Amino acid sequence: MTARKRLVAILQNGGLAIYAIFALFPLLWMFILTFKSDAEMLTTTFVFTPTLINYEQVFFYSDYLRYIRDSFIVSTGAVLISVLAGVPAAYAFARYSFKKKETIAFQILSFKFAPEILVVLPLYMLYRQMGIYDTYLGLIWVYQLISMPLIIWVVRGYFEDISVEIEHAAQVDGYPWWQIFLKVLLPLIKPGLVSSALLCFIFAWNSFTFPLLLAGIKVEPITVAATKYLAQSTVHYGQMAVAATCSALPSIIFAVVIQKHLVRGLSFGAVKG
Amino acid sequence: MAKIELINVTKRFGKVTALKNVSLEIHDKEFFVLFGPAGAGKTTILNNIAGIQIPEEGVIKINGEIVNQVDPAHRNVAMVFENYALYPNKTVYDNIASPLRSPMYKKDEGYIKNAVMKAATLMKIDMLLERLPSQLSNGQRQRVALGRALVRDPNVFLLDEPLAHLDAKLRNLMRGELKEMQHNFATTSIYVTHDFMEAMSLADRIAIIDKGEIIQVGVSDEIYYMPKNQFVAQLMGDPEINLLACELVQDDRGFTCVWEEAPYHPFRLPEEPELFKRFKALEDNKVHLGVRPQNTHYHFEPVDGSIEGTVYSFETIGNKSVLTAQIGNSHVRTIAPNGLPVKLDQPIFVTVDIARVILFNGVTKEYIGRYDEADVMKLVEEQKSESSKEAGENHG
Repeated sequence: MTARKRLVAILQNGGLAIYAIFALFPLLWMFILTFKSDAEMLTTTFVFTPTLINYEQVFFYSDYLRYIRDSFIVSTGAVLISVLAGVPAAYAFARYSFKKKETIAFQILSFKFAPEILVVLPLYMLYRQMGIYDTYLGLIWVYQLISMPLIIWVVRGYFEDISVEIEHAAQVDGYPWWQIFLKVLLPLIKPGLVSSALLCFIFAWNSFTFPLLLAGIKVEPITVAATKYLAQSTVHYGQMAVAATCSALPSIIFAVVIQKHLVRGLSFGAVKG
Repeated sequence: MAKIELINVTKRFGKVTALKNVSLEIHDKEFFVLFGPAGAGKTTILNNIAGIQIPEEGVIKINGEIVNQVDPAHRNVAMVFENYALYPNKTVYDNIASPLRSPMYKKDEGYIKNAVMKAATLMKIDMLLERLPSQLSNGQRQRVALGRALVRDPNVFLLDEPLAHLDAKLRNLMRGELKEMQHNFATTSIYVTHDFMEAMSLADRIAIIDKGEIIQVGVSDEIYYMPKNQFVAQLMGDPEINLLACELVQDDRGFTCVWEEAPYHPFRLPEEPELFKRFKALEDNKVHLGVRPQNTHYHFEPVDGSIEGTVYSFETIGNKSVLTAQIGNSHVRTIAPNGLPVKLDQPIFVTVDIARVILFNGVTKEYIGRYDEADVMKLVEEQKSESSKEAGENHG
């Protein structure tokens, strides 16, 4: 009995370990590349002379920090607007009954269905005509397609789980509506709001198609800018690896920090106990 | 402390009319019970008084002022919700303190501490103040919800089935405490229940509600002994009242009542001028004889005036039992002591205490009368003056 249990445990952990190596190896490989000089890039695997020349090149002789700043501005802006508009929308979907409610809710969700590449060309034409091509506003706007549906649907589930009597009780207790929202409802939806907002941030940060076609000259998020290290004649793998590694850091840090809330936060509101 | 008035209040939800032309007047310091079956509109009345819902028609007045346009925060009402509606992320202390921290009823923290401790001690939850609602039993949550209402000095307490989810022992205990508390606080209270024991024992006056309409308002004895119609009679009382479908037959000696299940044994109705006058005014000769189970008696041998039937069931309900006899296609419930040696389907003989019956119109199901109406009226008057005297004492 115990021997069998132990065997199962070994097999399970062995399987997980293999999967972890499989999943993490590309990241490790990328990390190793950041310390290789161009000369050693293709001739060595694990044994080489480590150098910081790539970091120096990226941070001091390119516009890397500007790209990061652009990514940060559009991603944060997108999430902020999604939260500010999405939370009231989610409340309306959860509490009020109005005509075509479910149709509209589904419509919002369906924004996530279409492949980005499918809508991006018409959007490009529109953006050129509206004069928001290659602007922060333009990117923040289009990122709503990525972040808004997620926030609305997760937060709606949370609102639906809060019994309406709690709001009534707060009214009777003497609170005006905005204080009920901030003091009573917001703490209750916080887990869902935080996890979905952070997930949206990661999605927006990683977005490639939209910034590639709707921006790229004045506004350059890091996902698009990273391709600049592929020059005409030479490819600076080392510098690209540095750029990629550093730009993946915010996502990784967020994912690790919220990991505990992430799964629970996203499923808690939706699944009725 | 306030008088609450509802004048022709109608509330609709889409096509459903939840309240139809409801008019009520709740006196200052009164303990008023709204009683009715599930879905009758009891909670809707509370929500309309609290301002959580606004009626489509009619006027709601608190202390003579029309409050239709006043939001809940400014009506100064305290409400206990059926599902407690505690703030799940706040401790018991913060839950109870919540009204005193709102912009409307703002108090300093020193005052809050005293008030919360006082309410918590009263509700016997002072040792739970640091806990979250999820760490409490239903009975404790219920008391926190009551505490949150009691911590204030509102115009009116609105209590929505506050004891419904408690176990029997705690319910009996809390019932006594609630009545005592209301007496001490001397605040108008409106209490919703579907438990007739609660309604009878707590109420200064009871309003019976069904399908969004007020059926009858009165002191408990009035409603128990002189129900306005069969519905009220069936609602008030456990085991339920027996209703015997009879035909009223006039002969030279007065009236007899012929029960369709036992036509061979007509009930002779004793002479009573007022009642006979009402009989004569009836358009139809169909009446329903309402007999409470305690006014029907069983015998194992035939006695004078008994009707034969068989034992249909014998259920023990606590300190007494209900013996149901089958006569024809009807069932007649009687009260019996526990442990009575009866077998199912054995013959049984039932007599009816005719002086205690309540007569209903067989067609409209409305109340016609009863023999001891004068005595009941005297009782009712006593009860009324007692409750108004109580209110007067509280004034002083």
